[in-house]
Amino acid sequence: MAAPMVHFYFQLIAFAFLHQCAGTSPEEFFKSGHTNNWAVLVDTSRFWFNYRHVANVLSIYRSCKRLGIPDSRIILMVADDMACNPRNPRPATVFNNANNQINVYGDDVEVDYRGYEVTVENFIRVLTGRLPPSTPRSKRLLSDEHSNVLVYMTGHGGDGFLKFQDAEEISNVELADAFEQMWQKRRYHEVFFMIDTCQAESMFQKFYSPNILAVASSKVGEDSLSHHVDPSIGVYVIDRYTYYALEFLETVTPGSKKTMGQFLEVCPKYQCISTVAKRTDLFRRDVNKVLLTDFFGSVRNVELLPDSIHLQNATLHTHSEDSSYVKSDKPLNYAQQFPMPV
Amino acid sequence: VAVRQAAEKQSSDVTSLKTLAALDEYFHGEESSVNKYLIVLMPVNNAVVKQTTIGNYRAVYLPAGKRDLKTVSSEVTEILHSVLVREDALLKSFQNFLGAREPKDKASMRSLSYHQGYDILFTLVNPQPDILDIDWSIKEAVEAYLSPMVKQLSDYINLDIKSQMLFFTGLRRKPHKDKKNSGFYYEETDLPHTINPLEANLGSHASNNPMLNFIVYVPSRDQHPLHIVLKNGEKVKTNSFLSPQWGGIVVQNLPSPPPNSSLPVRVTVDMKTVMEVFLTQLRLLMDFNIQVKKDLQVREVGNDVIREWELDNWLRKKCLENLATSISTLQSLTALLEGISNIVIQDDIGQQVENAVTGIKEAHRHLSSGQIARAFTQSRKALASSEKAFFDPSLLELLYFPEDQKFAIYIPLFLPIGLPILGSLFKAIKWIKTKRKQKPKTE
Repeated sequence: MAAPMVHFYFQLIAFAFLHQCAGTSPEEFFKSGHTNNWAVLVDTSRFWFNYRHVANVLSIYRSCKRLGIPDSRIILMVADDMACNPRNPRPATVFNNANNQINVYGDDVEVDYRGYEVTVENFIRVLTGRLPPSTPRSKRLLSDEHSNVLVYMTGHGGDGFLKFQDAEEISNVELADAFEQMWQKRRYHEVFFMIDTCQAESMFQKFYSPNILAVASSKVGEDSLSHHVDPSIGVYVIDRYTYYALEFLETVTPGSKKTMGQFLEVCPKYQCISTVAKRTDLFRRDVNKVLLTDFFGSVRNVELLPDSIHLQNATLHTHSEDSSYVKSDKPLNYAQQFPMPV
Repeated sequence: VAVRQAAEKQSSDVTSLKTLAALDEYFHGEESSVNKYLIVLMPVNNAVVKQTTIGNYRAVYLPAGKRDLKTVSSEVTEILHSVLVREDALLKSFQNFLGAREPKDKASMRSLSYHQGYDILFTLVNPQPDILDIDWSIKEAVEAYLSPMVKQLSDYINLDIKSQMLFFTGLRRKPHKDKKNSGFYYEETDLPHTINPLEANLGSHASNNPMLNFIVYVPSRDQHPLHIVLKNGEKVKTNSFLSPQWGGIVVQNLPSPPPNSSLPVRVTVDMKTVMEVFLTQLRLLMDFNIQVKKDLQVREVGNDVIREWELDNWLRKKCLENLATSISTLQSLTALLEGISNIVIQDDIGQQVENAVTGIKEAHRHLSSGQIARAFTQSRKALASSEKAFFDPSLLELLYFPEDQKFAIYIPLFLPIGLPILGSLFKAIKWIKTKRKQKPKTE
C-alpha cells in the first residue's frame, strides 16, 4: 500500500527539484555527478627561506576547510615545520600576508604527512592507494568514483619535474601515470590540478587520463614569482599566483555560484608577471558551467523522504547494569613510584 | 518452473485467511528458499487480494479468477522480469562496474558500493543540554529494531553499530521564521549547508570501512519547533532528509520545557519514529530499495526491514558488481604490468591473482545453477583477492627504473671507467696480435 504512494511522492519531489532555481539546488546532483570532495595539498620544499610555500599550501587548506571539506577528507603534506622553526620570530604562527592578519596555521590544522614523510614515494602511494596495511585512515585517500579531488602542489620546479625535499624529484610522466592508475581503479570522478612552481605548465603536459582540469602558475620557460616580503619575519610570505587565487577564493561562500571558468582567469599577466597556463581538453564539461564549489567546497546533495516505513512497536528491553562491572567502594590510589619527600 | 493445483486443505486455509499478512505467513517457508519464488493464483472471490500484490517473503499473489491463461502468463513474466529478476538493471550495473561509465542514475549514486563491512553511527545532537536532558534508549532500540536486519545480513555484510551524543553543537545555518505559525523552517536549498559543520564535529573513525551517519537533531529552544518544508510550503511528513553515500538527519521537535520548570528538563526521544526514518534511509543508502511500477502492490515491510526478494535482488546485484570490479581490477593490473616490463611480481601477489580468478569462475558456476548466496560469497572473495593484488605496496612504478631512464642512470656510472678500459683492451689485443705475428718470424 505504501510503496506506490512513496514512488508517487518521489516523482513529485523530482518535479519539485526540477523547478528550483535559487541557491545550490539538489537537481545539480545529476549535473555534477559527484557526491563527495577530497583535497590533496602538497608542499614540497624544505628550509626556512621556502616559508612562502608552506604559507601557500596552508592558505589553500584554510579555504578548502572554510568552504566545507572536512579534515577527514583533506590530505595535507607539509615538508618542513615553519611554525615551530627556531628562526621564526612569531612562533606557532604562519602568515601569508605582511600585515599578519590571518594566522593560517591556526590551532586546528591537521597535517597528515609532515617533514621527511613528504616524499615522492609517499605522494604516489597516496594517489594510487598502494599503502601498507598499517597506514591509518587519516593518511589514506579513500576516494571513489563519485569523488572530485583537488590536487594542489607547490614548491620548486623545473621543466618536467618538481623538486621534493631538495633530494628527489617527481617527473611529469610519473604524475601522469599516477593519475591514470587512479582513473583505472575509478578513484576519482574529476580532478582539479593546481600547481604553483616555476615552469609549472610542464607538469600537466603529459596528462592523458580523462576528467582532469589543470591550471599552472607559469608556462614552460617562465619562472613563477613570489609576491611580497614581510620585513618583520624576513622572508617572502606568499607566491603571486596563490595570492591572487586566494583573493578570489575569499569572495566565495559555500553557496556561491562562481564558476571554474572565472577561477581559471585569475591572475592575468600584469599581476602575476608569469603567464597562467591551463589545460581543459581532458575535461568533459564546459568550465564556464562548472561551479567552483565542485572542487573547493563540499556541497552535499540531499534528498527528502516523503514517507517512511511503518514499524510495529517493539518492546525495548532495558539493560540492567552489567553484573561483570563491579563498583568498588575503596578509593583508588596511585602506586608509589617515586621517593616523595615526607 | 513448476505448476500445480492447490491441495484441498490449502484452498480452504487460504479462503479462511483474512489479511495479507496472514496469507504471507502461511506461504512463508512453504517451498520458497533463496532464489525460488512462489506465484499464487488466487481465486476471484477471495477477500484479500484485489490487485497483483507482492508479499514480503518470496510469494506473489495474482487474482487470476476469470482471466485467460495468456494474460495471466504475460503478467507473470512481466513481474519476473521487472521485479523479481531485474535483468536489464543488473546488466546495466554490470557494464557500469566493468568500466562503461555511463551517466549515473539516482539509485546508483545514492548507495554505497559494496564493502566487507559498514560502520553505522547514530548521533544525538543536543545544542542545549543545560535546558533539555534528553534520554534516548538507543542501545535497546538498535537491538529491537535493527538486529533482525543485522542478523539477516550477517552472512553477507558486517555492520558495526555505534552511537554517541554531541552537546553544544547546532546546525549553523539560520532557519527561516515561519510567519503564520510560530516556528522555524528550512527549505531544501538550506539543507546541503547544514551537513558540513555538523560533520566536522562528529569525530573521525578509525576503520577503513565506509561510515553511514544517522543524526537525530533536537532543536534548541530559540529554534523550536523546526520543520523542513517542500517547495510548496508543505511540511515534510518525516521531518528528515538524507545525503547520498553519507547518511541522514531527522529533526525531532521534543516539547519545550514549560516556563517555570527546573532546568534541565528530562525528555525522551520516541525511538520508534526515529528508527522508522532511519531504517527507510538505510534501505535507500544500502541499495535494498526497489522501485516497483504503480500497478503492482507491495506489502508493507514492517519490522522485517528488508523483504526477502529484495535481499535476493541485492545479492544478485552485488555479486555481479563484485565480479565486474574484480575483472576490471585484474585487467588494469595486467595493463600496468605490461606497461612496466621489469616489475617484479612476488609470489603472494600471484597467489592472490589466482585466488581471484578461481573465485570468479566459482561464482559463475554457482550463478548458472541459481545458487546466488554461494555465488555472492565467492564473488566477495574474488573482490578481496583482486583488490589485495592490485593495491599491493610493492607494485610501485617508482621502485623500478623506466626503460628510457636506464641509459641516463647507467651511462654516467660506466662511461668514465669504460673508456680507459676499452682503450686498454684494444691496446692489449693489438699487442697480442703483434706478438703472434712476431712468434712465427722468430721461429
